Amino acid sequence: MTMLLRTWGVYSRATARWPLLATLAPFVPLVCLWIALTESGIFPRAFLPGPMEVAKAFLALTYKGVLPDYLQDSLLRLATGAALGMAIGIPLGLLIGVSRRARRIAWPLLLFFQAIGDIAWLPILLIWFGFGLTTMTFVIVYTVLFPVALNTVLGVESVPTDLARAARSLGASPARVLWEVTLPGALPNIITGLRNGLGYGWRALIAVEIIVGTSGIGFMMFDARRAGSVVEILLGMIILGSLWYIVDAWILAPIERATGQRWGMVTS
Amino acid sequence: MTTLSLRNLSKTYFDPYAGAHVTAVHDVSLDVDKGEFVSVVGPSGCGKTTILNMIAGFIPYSGGEILLNDKPIDGPGPERGVVFQSFALFPWKTVLDNVGFGPKMRGVAKAERDRIAHEYLALAGLTHAANRYPNELSGGMQQRVGVVRALANHPDVLLMDEPFASVDAQTRMTLQEELTRIWQERRPTVIFITHDVPEAVFLANRVVVLSRGRVLEQVQVDLPRPRVWNELIEDDEFKRLSSHVLHAVRSA
Repeated sequence: MTMLLRTWGVYSRATARWPLLATLAPFVPLVCLWIALTESGIFPRAFLPGPMEVAKAFLALTYKGVLPDYLQDSLLRLATGAALGMAIGIPLGLLIGVSRRARRIAWPLLLFFQAIGDIAWLPILLIWFGFGLTTMTFVIVYTVLFPVALNTVLGVESVPTDLARAARSLGASPARVLWEVTLPGALPNIITGLRNGLGYGWRALIAVEIIVGTSGIGFMMFDARRAGSVVEILLGMIILGSLWYIVDAWILAPIERATGQRWGMVTS
Repeated sequence: MTTLSLRNLSKTYFDPYAGAHVTAVHDVSLDVDKGEFVSVVGPSGCGKTTILNMIAGFIPYSGGEILLNDKPIDGPGPERGVVFQSFALFPWKTVLDNVGFGPKMRGVAKAERDRIAHEYLALAGLTHAANRYPNELSGGMQQRVGVVRALANHPDVLLMDEPFASVDAQTRMTLQEELTRIWQERRPTVIFITHDVPEAVFLANRVVVLSRGRVLEQVQVDLPRPRVWNELIEDDEFKRLSSHVLHAVRSA
């Protein structure tokens, strides 16, 4: 028991000093298990390749330029969709949050359309727009829009009345209250919405690329299935997970720390 | 010279739980002179916060009128500064930017409003906290910021709604002494809402006792200034006035 505790102590100190270790260490047992499984020979190699083969495929595809191109395509689609989703979702959420009338009209619609999942739109989108960028962008915008809009509404409602009153009695016009109080007050929730939205959007994108795609990580994985290349499918899955970790830990979490947590509006 | 005038002010609203109209403020008339410090004291539910919210323009009134410099008020405005019980500081702005918010809304340039904010922070002994965020300050310090933020906008009348109710007893006494000092230096017109009788007497030139939405009594307080607790706590006149107001409040 003391031995375990001591090991944990060493681990805590080491990960505190090298944050990258904290990210990678939990995967060590997983990779070991994977190696053990492949080496045991229970599954044929073509069925379950080992980490080294996946790493080799990674290098080969990177060298050929296929992987960087697909990655760029996927990320660009996600970024475009997310940007559009925010550009619509934040103003919409602000409007619904601020105006009781807008809320009464929009809330049922919002809940109704939220329930029609992103993928459920695909059949009709394929008929309308065909197998192309418009269809993919529509799905991403759709998945990002709702979490952002709904969380923005929650954020607006969480701003204490006294803050808006304080701003008004310091000379702010209603329009400036929106900019100076409502928007920053709702920001922690908006970021939460964005975080959720991007997560859903990322998953939706892969699904859409599998069905619609001509390029992208999702297309790569589905194309590999046709060729029977399990190596590339596994590589695609690992890239999906790693990329999301990077986006979340290196971009979204620091934004959260610099805003809501810094201001004491959300507890870390 | 009268700065603020309440004439037959009243407020009724519909209480959905009682299923009837309730009168929160009933025919209140009150004149506040320029540079006067008026405390409004009364038990909870007497309508004192409702009156303040109507003067601030946060809620509409049902009858009578509110005149500021002989003009009826219309909604909230910078000529009526408000200090809130909840402090209501902007969490995403530094202390400096909180205090500079009023001047910013007036269109004052950044350098000038920083100078104004620094001047007012010095008045409250907060120079060292200029670049901190509100959540990094104690409750007492936050409310000091709340007071100077309102003052930095040069309001015609400063409305204070139980501003010291949520800080601890020791800090409260310090804040009360600081407020009387700042009032003596700057001579703002103040309406101070409280349920704390000694606080009302300690701060004010005049104490208005409110009961069930009506003015019950007005008591003139001519205690010498500067006022400090260590002296007033033993002062016979302070004790006499406090006990008088307390009896009025409790009889209500």
